[in-house]
Amino acid sequence: MSTFGALNTAYRGLTAAQQGMNVAGQNIANAATEGYTRQRVQQSPLAAPAQGLWGAGAPQVGQGVSVDAIARLGSSFLDGGVRSAGAQAGYASVRSSALQNIEGVLKEPGDNGVSAALQGFWSAWQGVANQPGEAAPSGLVIQAANTLTTRIATAYQSLDGQWTDARGQATDAVTAVNSAASQVAAYNTTIRSTLAAGGSANELIDARAKLTESIARLAGGTVREQADGTVDVHIGGNALVMGSSVRTLALTGAATMAGSAATPVQLEWADRPGVAVGLDGGQLAGSLSVLAPAAGGSGGVIAEAAASYDRLATQLATDVNAVHSGGLTAAGAPAGNFFTIDATRPAALGISSIQDPALIGAAAAGFGAKDGHNADALAQIGTRTTSPDATWQSIVTGIGLQSRNAQQHETMTAAVATSAETSRASSASVSLDEENVSLLTNQHAYQAAARVMTAVDEALDVLINRTGLVGR
Amino acid sequence: MLNRVTNLTMSAAAQRNLQLQQSKLAGLQDKASSLDKIGRPSDDPSATAQALQTRTRQAAAAQYSRNIDDGNGWLTVADSALGQATNILNRVRDLTLQASNDSLGQKERDAISTELKGLNADLLSVANTQHLGRNIFAGTSDMDGAFAPPIPPDPAVLGDPGTPPKFNGTPGASVERRVSDNRTIRVDADGATIFGDGGTSLFALIGQITGDLDAGKAPNTHLTALDQGIKNVISGRAEIGTRQAELERAGTVNTDLEASLDAQKTGIEKADLGSVIMDLKLQETNYQVALAATARVLQPTLMDFLR
Repeated sequence: MSTFGALNTAYRGLTAAQQGMNVAGQNIANAATEGYTRQRVQQSPLAAPAQGLWGAGAPQVGQGVSVDAIARLGSSFLDGGVRSAGAQAGYASVRSSALQNIEGVLKEPGDNGVSAALQGFWSAWQGVANQPGEAAPSGLVIQAANTLTTRIATAYQSLDGQWTDARGQATDAVTAVNSAASQVAAYNTTIRSTLAAGGSANELIDARAKLTESIARLAGGTVREQADGTVDVHIGGNALVMGSSVRTLALTGAATMAGSAATPVQLEWADRPGVAVGLDGGQLAGSLSVLAPAAGGSGGVIAEAAASYDRLATQLATDVNAVHSGGLTAAGAPAGNFFTIDATRPAALGISSIQDPALIGAAAAGFGAKDGHNADALAQIGTRTTSPDATWQSIVTGIGLQSRNAQQHETMTAAVATSAETSRASSASVSLDEENVSLLTNQHAYQAAARVMTAVDEALDVLINRTGLVGR
Repeated sequence: MLNRVTNLTMSAAAQRNLQLQQSKLAGLQDKASSLDKIGRPSDDPSATAQALQTRTRQAAAAQYSRNIDDGNGWLTVADSALGQATNILNRVRDLTLQASNDSLGQKERDAISTELKGLNADLLSVANTQHLGRNIFAGTSDMDGAFAPPIPPDPAVLGDPGTPPKFNGTPGASVERRVSDNRTIRVDADGATIFGDGGTSLFALIGQITGDLDAGKAPNTHLTALDQGIKNVISGRAEIGTRQAELERAGTVNTDLEASLDAQKTGIEKADLGSVIMDLKLQETNYQVALAATARVLQPTLMDFLR
């Protein structure tokens, strides 16, 4: 070892301790920063210089410390957990909130729902049965029918509005995924060149991780880390981001619920139109499942709910008309249909009742002009086991059950996402106590290294200035 | 690494806990102020179905109770009309018996005939009794009365007996009130059965009696027919009475049903006040404990203890 080797060792100690304090400072400064991953100085002892050919003999000490890197203490495994849990939670939350909105449209159980309107309708027919041919009860039954059809139509329109909102949200989500993807590609380029130049890209990687996380929450997918520091993002098995290249997603299909049966809303790659992208989670997958057209009970929840209103309207019209058209009006003429459904519109919107009290068929044939048997028979439709009331109850119960399941699923996936985030935070977040200890350690290391330098300095001073002065 | 606790995880956990406790508190406060167990179908889907069914049955029961009140009005009017008819017919029978006495002169018979004609008109007006514009004894008819007014004999035609009141109702038709899901009770009475129709009616019979009296004959040959007519009216009144009793029983049953449905609905839809208040108090305490614990835990770091 050379004469000044020890000075160099002390100097290396000083810089390493300084670097350690710098990193502790950075960690403390970012203790509350979202998405920040704690960093550590990675240092290793420098070995003694190799023995020369004739240098065998005295053992040599190492040459101090080397600062190898500033490591980012993240775990790609835990990051992946957060991403996949976030994708599931995003999917579940969209479905759950869509179903809860539908429940809000039902207004059941309560006085403003379809159920109460049906009860009022049947009671009004009893009123007609009690006073057939009178203006007041006939007017009441028409009013009750109007209340009923208005409630059905209003609910259908709210569902239509909800569908349009969900469609808008899906469009926003696609835009967000596309913009996040292009940012990830931009970060990839910067990170690759930074790392190639030997720099530290920790903060850039944190920022990119936040973006990939938001992509996962929106559209699921997987992230693959490459050797050069870049990441590839795959959605439905195809690359969304690969190195610095990006592909864009597009949402196609009808913009209204009425049109969605013919052209369902679909997520496609912009460069491959017509081919649907298979999603494995995320809010977009939730939105697409909510927006799907009705398919006999297993389709999208909004369209299915709207279809149940159609079903109710159709059954109501069929059941009531079958009985009503068998009766006679107060004038003795055969009564026609009570409800008509405009075939050009959905049944729930197209249903309307007669508006002229004189057309009400309260009487059964052959019982006299003021007979009320047919009105009674109409009122009794409500007590059938297959009444529109029963259909409605099963619709409400079905939606209630679906919503309950969706809410439970949301709670569960949210808990999983929380636990994934907690375990990642427990590994990646900054502990102030730890940083204080590290600060303290490095401070003492710095002081001690300075002391080493002083000691060597004094030793050299003795050697240089105080030797050779014997006898002077 | 598993149990590494940092300031971030601690504050996040504290935040989550507070949020959880607060949302539970909000839920319970909502429940306590509305006392509704089912705010939306997903709160309890099966109870929602029950609640809807109970509400439907309640609405039906309320309508049945209105039907029963309405039917009671009909039957009361029918009962009092038939009571009057019985009184009139008893008087007719007395007069007929009196007129059958051979010792009576034509003058007395004319006087009795006049009274009988008045009584016949009274009987017809009783038979045409209306309730809320509807004929009690021909409930489904839209004519002015249950019986058409009689056409007096045409003096120009020799021996024309005139046309007695004709029944306006439809044979077999009835006015019924629904008192339960599967039961109706008839609330009108069949005028043709009680008063007879046309030539065989009580009105025609009394017309024949007065005709005999006017012709100076003793009317005792009509007594049997008159007795039969009175019997018909009385049995008609008895039937009305039976149906009224039936209707009242149905009313009692319906009132009981309404009460039990109300209890059922409350049981399904409403929360128990005591338990909700208990839960609320408990949750309030939980929330305060969580707040106090959070305040204590979040403060200290190593920084506080280094010089």
